[in-house]
Amino acid sequence: MNASALNKLIEAARLDPEHVFSAPWEARAFAIALKLSEAGLFTWDEFRDHLIAEVGASDRIRARDGTSDHGEYYEHFLRALEHLLAEKGIATTGVRES
Amino acid sequence: MSGDHHNTDESGPAARVKALEAILTEKGMLDPAALDAIVDAYETRVGPRNGARVVAKAWTDPEYRKRLLADATAAVGELGFAGPEGGHLVAVENTDGVHNLVVCTLCSCYPWPVLGLPPVWYKSFAYRSRAVSDPRGVLKDFGTELGAEVEIRVWDSSAEIRYLVIPQRPKGTDAMSEDELAAIVTRDSMVGVEKIAPLARPGAKRARA
Repeated sequence: MNASALNKLIEAARLDPEHVFSAPWEARAFAIALKLSEAGLFTWDEFRDHLIAEVGASDRIRARDGTSDHGEYYEHFLRALEHLLAEKGIATTGVRES
Repeated sequence: MSGDHHNTDESGPAARVKALEAILTEKGMLDPAALDAIVDAYETRVGPRNGARVVAKAWTDPEYRKRLLADATAAVGELGFAGPEGGHLVAVENTDGVHNLVVCTLCSCYPWPVLGLPPVWYKSFAYRSRAVSDPRGVLKDFGTELGAEVEIRVWDSSAEIRYLVIPQRPKGTDAMSEDELAAIVTRDSMVGVEKIAPLARPGAKRARA
């Protein structure tokens, strides 16, 4: 089921090999997370744990439903960042019931 | 929780990132100019051309190759490549009998200083869920067919260890300089999803991929 999904992503990467971010907000979210971890507000390992939780939740749904993803990685990334910042009491923007 | 909200303007990811940046800047925790610098670095300087330099040097300098295989973090540091996600780097070498493939099954761990940020497919469920259980099938999707006698080793990246594949130097490249060799080393070959094809004619230049 996932073979064709992977083929599509491979093809997209070959058409645009220098592609790093799909939208400016992805780049911004990445830079915010990296900068805050460099500033010591959290460690990258703490962030990764949250990212793994978000990705894992999505994976379980995909495995159950047999669906494939389409490159929504940075949506997991952003949710992980929002949850970590809320947990740390740094910022509560964007965190909603989920 | 799979992003049911993300089509409306206020709760879309772009708006949420903007809100986050605004509040963190207001609190004095972020400098927008520093964010610009990070984005610029990862869009331009920190990328697979760095890893290609490492591979080309390993191909042409046997002593460097030894150091790279013994302690990759230190060896890439010699070329000035270091930074976040660069600690505990391990170089694994492809040979006639062994082909190495790298994945991060849990998320997206990847050796940033030498390869930059990972491509979309590397982070996809389609790749992560199959690389370990069906590496030959995954390689086939990339157009890479290996003989049955070739052992495939799959390396699952983690918070502790990142991997860089040293692809096999293709035939027909004996006369090429280190710089010319670096130009034919592809990102995908350093993740292990493809081999570098032999040059059609020695000395021919190939477009960077």
